[in-house]
Amino acid sequence: MTRRIVVTGMGCVTPIGNSILELQSGLYSGRIGVGHLSLFDASSFPVQIAAEVRDWDMSTCGEDPRRWASTPRQTQFAIGAGLEAARHAGLNDWRGDAERFGVYLGCGEPFEDFQTFVRTVHDSLESGDCEADSFLQNALKVFNPKTECEFEPDMPGIHLAAMLGAEGPVANCIAACVSSTQAIGEAARMIAQNETDVMLCGGAHSTIHPFGFTGFQRLSALSTHNDDPESAVRPFDADRDGFVIGEGAGMFIIEELEHALARGAEILGEISGYGSSQDAYRVTDSHPEGRGTAAAISQALASAKMNPDDIHYINAHGTGTVLNDRVETLAIKQAFGQQAFRVPVSSTKAMLGHATTACGAIEFAVSLISLQTDVIPPTLNHDTPDSDCDLDYVPHTPRELSCRHILTNNIGFGGQNAALIVSRYDDRSPAHVAPGWAA
Amino acid sequence: MASKRDAQAMDCLDNSQKRIVVTGVGVICSAGLSADRFWQSLNEHHQPDAGSAADPAMPTTFTGSIDDFGDLPKDKRKAIRKALKLMNRETQMGVAAGQQALSDSDVLGHYESERFGVCFGADNVSVMPEDFVHGIQACSGPDGRFEEERWGTDGLSGIAPLWLLKCLPNMPTCYLAILNDLQGPSNTITQRDVSANMSIAEACRGIRSGSTDAALVGATGTTLATFNLMHAQIENEVSGVGDVCRPFDRNRTGSAPGEGAGALVLEELNAAVARGAHIYGEILGAGSASAVGHGPVDGRRKALSRAMRQALSRAGQLPHSIGHIHAHGLGTRDSDIAESLAIRDVFGETASEIPVVAAKSHVANAAAGAGALELIASLLALQHGHLFPVRHFNDADPDCAIRPVTRHDEGAGTSFLNLNMFGRGLASCVAIGAVPA
Repeated sequence: MTRRIVVTGMGCVTPIGNSILELQSGLYSGRIGVGHLSLFDASSFPVQIAAEVRDWDMSTCGEDPRRWASTPRQTQFAIGAGLEAARHAGLNDWRGDAERFGVYLGCGEPFEDFQTFVRTVHDSLESGDCEADSFLQNALKVFNPKTECEFEPDMPGIHLAAMLGAEGPVANCIAACVSSTQAIGEAARMIAQNETDVMLCGGAHSTIHPFGFTGFQRLSALSTHNDDPESAVRPFDADRDGFVIGEGAGMFIIEELEHALARGAEILGEISGYGSSQDAYRVTDSHPEGRGTAAAISQALASAKMNPDDIHYINAHGTGTVLNDRVETLAIKQAFGQQAFRVPVSSTKAMLGHATTACGAIEFAVSLISLQTDVIPPTLNHDTPDSDCDLDYVPHTPRELSCRHILTNNIGFGGQNAALIVSRYDDRSPAHVAPGWAA
Repeated sequence: MASKRDAQAMDCLDNSQKRIVVTGVGVICSAGLSADRFWQSLNEHHQPDAGSAADPAMPTTFTGSIDDFGDLPKDKRKAIRKALKLMNRETQMGVAAGQQALSDSDVLGHYESERFGVCFGADNVSVMPEDFVHGIQACSGPDGRFEEERWGTDGLSGIAPLWLLKCLPNMPTCYLAILNDLQGPSNTITQRDVSANMSIAEACRGIRSGSTDAALVGATGTTLATFNLMHAQIENEVSGVGDVCRPFDRNRTGSAPGEGAGALVLEELNAAVARGAHIYGEILGAGSASAVGHGPVDGRRKALSRAMRQALSRAGQLPHSIGHIHAHGLGTRDSDIAESLAIRDVFGETASEIPVVAAKSHVANAAAGAGALELIASLLALQHGHLFPVRHFNDADPDCAIRPVTRHDEGAGTSFLNLNMFGRGLASCVAIGAVPA
């Protein structure tokens, strides 16, 4: 028995729009979310730009902002996007079997308040060393236990499970920049193997804080286009010089097809393929020939029982780093063969920045929007061709294209790779259900 | 008793469903740096507990030096030694346990790299103060005051270029994949104390689906690092320095902070038999559920009883057929009572008979890592044919109407349930059975 998995609700909070409708409008009007950093004083940092979520207020999603005031930004984004997805799916007043409703998110690591942390380390220094006991005693005095408990990656999922009445499995995974892609794929597999009927899945993250900027700058991964933020992220362009830190959330309600049909839910698309792989090469760099990325894409195709020419559009990871874009291009060519030169590929990170663990979920929303509108988003700032990047990257302007199947790909630090295929729902077609979905 | 829905789920099980077995184990814990040492320690005959501070289990003797990684081929030893400074402590423990499990199973080379996955459970990583000392010193003014406005110019250069990678919980998974050329699916579950069972369940889904043939699973964790300890203290009562973990005892003083990692190799039964692998046991079924916001006792009770019923149902087992239960056994009042009530919910009157063990009473609370260590302890009990006592259990809490093991010679049976819980109302369960030789 095969169980098909469909998407029945989606929600998002992004630097170009704080709802699916705003995201859609931003994508097609070429809105760029990258700007000068405002969330903390970065004037001493070499990089001073970010893709920040603007004007976010918890009252937007019907919540009392005071309740959430001391939670990390990613938790607030997760709640906003999660509630939007549930509303969209008509699950607010759903009274189904709570045990068959689970949550699987890919929310990233929240960091403590930087200022409090460095001051505590400073105050704990003795003879040039920071003694662990001394630091612990000082930390216990200055970090507020009531708010500190929110600084765990699984807290968004725990809150959402309570708010939506989900009493099935609750999980969070961290797999660097493929976290939320894998969360969606693994949530789908839980439904496919008949452990649940409905899942809230996706991810949320914000690394726009001094810890995040310290880490990514030391890794030399960031664009330094401080003077012209809007042109900073240049996916697949010859002059690309790195990514820009973004933030946000993408959330989905996915469910077993018959379950969705029985309750009269609107079906936004079908999850028809999923692949996950490891480069097994280095923690810092992708495999130079993109072997893991190609494997994840090929796995997704195989699990969907599809050939490369079934895919009408690829939403690429496309961070705008020299290495990522070259390797991702190679991997698409490996997995797609000659078809790689015919399928349009775009990266929306020029607009959205890089929301790290949440990027896959946001880009999955972009793919669903593309399926529904018959328009695919462009790669902005793709001005100068690079001989290493020789595919059709849909430069500058959106393109009208009716897609039946879209592949979305992500790549993460540590050699992690994941890809999903989302298809237009067709009740006449036999299930292109993965062997991977069915037990 | 199985619910109607459970019966439906059982009906969906295909007879040809792949059987997944454990063929290797690895352990890093306060009782020792190998599975053998762990088992010996669980079975040491201790003097009757006097409630003294003689046994603060807590930190492992794991120093993070290459010698703590056991016997390794020369090239692997060199690669690990080179990478050690980039790994945080939980990553080091996870990698050491993972290498032990791979070596124990002798599995490398028997499967295609692309079809060998890794799925680990891990805790959120505490930012370590020592990583920031050089940066902070570079920003100290003439009067010794920390000048934060200089962080972006002077402080940054004092931070190791790859520092951020040390903070990622997926590093144990990634290093194990890289060191052993495991190119299959790779994931890290960060769902605190219920992560270990969930990582095993996820890897089993991958093998059943046909996307992988084998997987290295497990979990690593700590409640000793500053922020992990602080978070543990927020979630539960944590015992004071020198106090021990006394699950189900009326004189309990809370959970005991600790650390550790456990790892297991999973593969399909027929393939394992064909290559002549030693089989520790079979993963019969798994379950996980939540009841967030239902209170510290009711939430845990509801989630755990559901997770157990799911695991039993998927395993095709009835409660009375289970040989023993490996409890979460946190040693806090709410957790112990919730767990006892959940066991009674599922096992009914037989709950007074089924033996319950709890390794946290021996090795303290390694958070995410604990679930894997506990599962391995019970697998070893299946091997040896007998259980080990719940340590420091002297005076039964009348509110915990279950039967903690107090002897060294009690039979382990041929199957067990491994229980993981988290205070917010989360639980996961794996059912394991012995495989006759």
